[in-house]
Amino acid sequence: MALSFSTTNKFLLNNQQILRSVLILSVRYKQRGHIADHLVEHHRQSPLGKLKNGAAVDAFPPKDDTTKDLRTTPHDFKYVYPDFLPNPIPYLRDRILEKLERKDMFRRRQQIDIPEFYVGSILAVTSADPYAPNRRHRFVGICIQRERHGLKHQFTLRNIVDGLGVEISYELYNPTITKIEVLKLERRLDENLAYLRDAPPEYCTFPFDMEPVKLPPGAGVPLNTIQVPITSTHWQYKWERHDLKGILLPSLPRSVRKAAERFGEPWRQWDIMRQYRTEIHDDDKAEIYEDIEKHKEDLAQYRIDSKENVKITRARPKAAGRKAILDNSNRSNMSTSK
Amino acid sequence: MNRALQTVCTRLFTRPLLNLSSSSILPSTAVGINFIPCAWIRREKLTDQQMRLRYKKLHWHKFYDDKWVQRRGGGWDEKITPENVSFMQEMVYETYANKDSPLKDGPWQRGKFTIDPETIRTGVLGLKLGTLPQWDKRGRKFYVTLVQIIDNHVINYTPPEMINFRTLFTTRPLRRDLHGKVGMLVVGALSCDPRKFTRGYNGLFEQAGVPPKRKLTRFFITPNSAIKPGTPLYATHFRCGDYVDVQARSIDYGFQGVMRRYGFRGGPSDKYGSTKFHRKRGTIGSGRKHKVLPGTRMPGFMGNKLVMMKGLKIWRINTKYNVLYLMGPSVPGPNHGYIRIQDSTLYERKKMFTETNHPPFPTYYPDDNKSKSLDEELFADDIYRFDQPTLTLDDIQVAPLTAPRTAAKTAQKKK
Repeated sequence: MALSFSTTNKFLLNNQQILRSVLILSVRYKQRGHIADHLVEHHRQSPLGKLKNGAAVDAFPPKDDTTKDLRTTPHDFKYVYPDFLPNPIPYLRDRILEKLERKDMFRRRQQIDIPEFYVGSILAVTSADPYAPNRRHRFVGICIQRERHGLKHQFTLRNIVDGLGVEISYELYNPTITKIEVLKLERRLDENLAYLRDAPPEYCTFPFDMEPVKLPPGAGVPLNTIQVPITSTHWQYKWERHDLKGILLPSLPRSVRKAAERFGEPWRQWDIMRQYRTEIHDDDKAEIYEDIEKHKEDLAQYRIDSKENVKITRARPKAAGRKAILDNSNRSNMSTSK
Repeated sequence: MNRALQTVCTRLFTRPLLNLSSSSILPSTAVGINFIPCAWIRREKLTDQQMRLRYKKLHWHKFYDDKWVQRRGGGWDEKITPENVSFMQEMVYETYANKDSPLKDGPWQRGKFTIDPETIRTGVLGLKLGTLPQWDKRGRKFYVTLVQIIDNHVINYTPPEMINFRTLFTTRPLRRDLHGKVGMLVVGALSCDPRKFTRGYNGLFEQAGVPPKRKLTRFFITPNSAIKPGTPLYATHFRCGDYVDVQARSIDYGFQGVMRRYGFRGGPSDKYGSTKFHRKRGTIGSGRKHKVLPGTRMPGFMGNKLVMMKGLKIWRINTKYNVLYLMGPSVPGPNHGYIRIQDSTLYERKKMFTETNHPPFPTYYPDDNKSKSLDEELFADDIYRFDQPTLTLDDIQVAPLTAPRTAAKTAQKKK
């Protein structure tokens, strides 16, 4: 049974979700009033559409069937750009839809620098908020999860503010986000750190005025092998059942351990189809990576052009003094402590 | 098409006609004997429930009826050598590339867009691609459905005098307000190889000079918006910011119970000791009436019926791929499903069109804009374009939570 493999909340897979996904699958293959998926591309590229006065289909460049050298595409770019992964549900995919979506994504990436970050990195996100002082809202937190594909890509930051755990979910391509800074770039042993909710508070408290940690150039992304103890009595999900490497479980009763073994699905390590679905297919890989490379060139050119056009008038600010700096820092502290 | 009309006309001529001189209900455009009036006229309007009961049952067209042209043909093994197969395919492409289009003599004379009497433009046949999120200039997110218009051509036009409405409206309520006023335009999408179809079906497209189409629909239009057969239709037939009605066949869920079909709450789970009542409907009768009322909601087939969504805004148009970005994620139908798109018939949206401000009439012709090239992407005014700088929302005025203090109160406070 092929369930949806988007990364949304793997811990909670209740009957409703299972039934719904089964219904969608069973329903998909007996639809009327639609054209088969493999015929859509055929019609887009068929010469019968290119008539003299028709030209309705003139602008569909056929997909390059020439085998591209896939060795030039880095094997790990799906980790750096997880938002470019295709829709995990295959029958909801469409080539033109993805192409237009990617265009919008690249245009947005020209306006704001979207850095490389992973689950476990500490980010500071500034977004435009008409209700906040200075009309900017800044939040610092550890990235717990990254979900969904394309323009809908979201990431969640967690922090503890005034003793209260706060999680804010941001859409990566939301136009009101003014700045995304990576204060500490690192990876963790798991792809989803929702267990931090049941961990002691010191594991997800980060000061708002944290200084960015600079890595030496050329260094890889460091892996933090920390093991978080789960101490609270009531757990949100049954952490022992999911193969989480970054947690330190307390001693559990025998029945719980046995149930975890049953639920654990040890055969998943040989599930090739599941691994296949989390990868970008070779047919799409070259196309996506080509677009990314072109975007990088465009971005470099855009930055050169914008620098030439903008006259940089460096005016030395009036002696602000220590008082102004202190006032600013106080104001920012007040805004974040809510 | 012509054969179908002939059979219809011969059948109706045998029925007794009304005395034309005495009837005052006929419109002035009646042309002699070709105009066949409705013999059975209902005086009272049907109530909503009566209409629902009449048309609740899904009526399928009978494909074995001789009114319809047999469509699918070929498919047998003709035992052709591989070289000849590719040769035949090339021949097919060449015939349609070199075929004389009826448009070589130029399009028909363009009608004029009028408000009174009302003008109805053609629609367009598209394919649903999927949904995407977009943002407006205030930073609010909404979802849009992408609909691609692949390979649309006008196939046929019949003037109002040649149409008998009663034969066309067998499965849905009769549109008596349009009777006699509208002509019928047949639009086709997705060109195909003629070897897949029968000779009769291929003959429908000879007048238009286009390859046979996979899907045909009809649109009722006023005679001033008639288009010559063979004209292609593009996404720029509409404008950004205009509103559109969308019609498609909804997703087929099959035989479903009452909980999924009508959203009934059902019963408790076995945990609470519920005996044999989890997803049932419950009672089907009322205490007094000794019958089950027609229209009682019960399990049955769900979906797979024509659904109309009205008043969807067009946010963006991509002219390169002929894609419309329509408001909302819930355009009916599965992915890659056919969709009929027409100008909105909602009252407030029809009022937006004036004699000077109306969409391209009768349709968008690329030759009109040959001097200036068309932008690849067209946007509505309120949408956020991703090549614009980040939305800072600085110009949004936020009303204070507490009301400002009046002069009397300040005076009181001072005391």
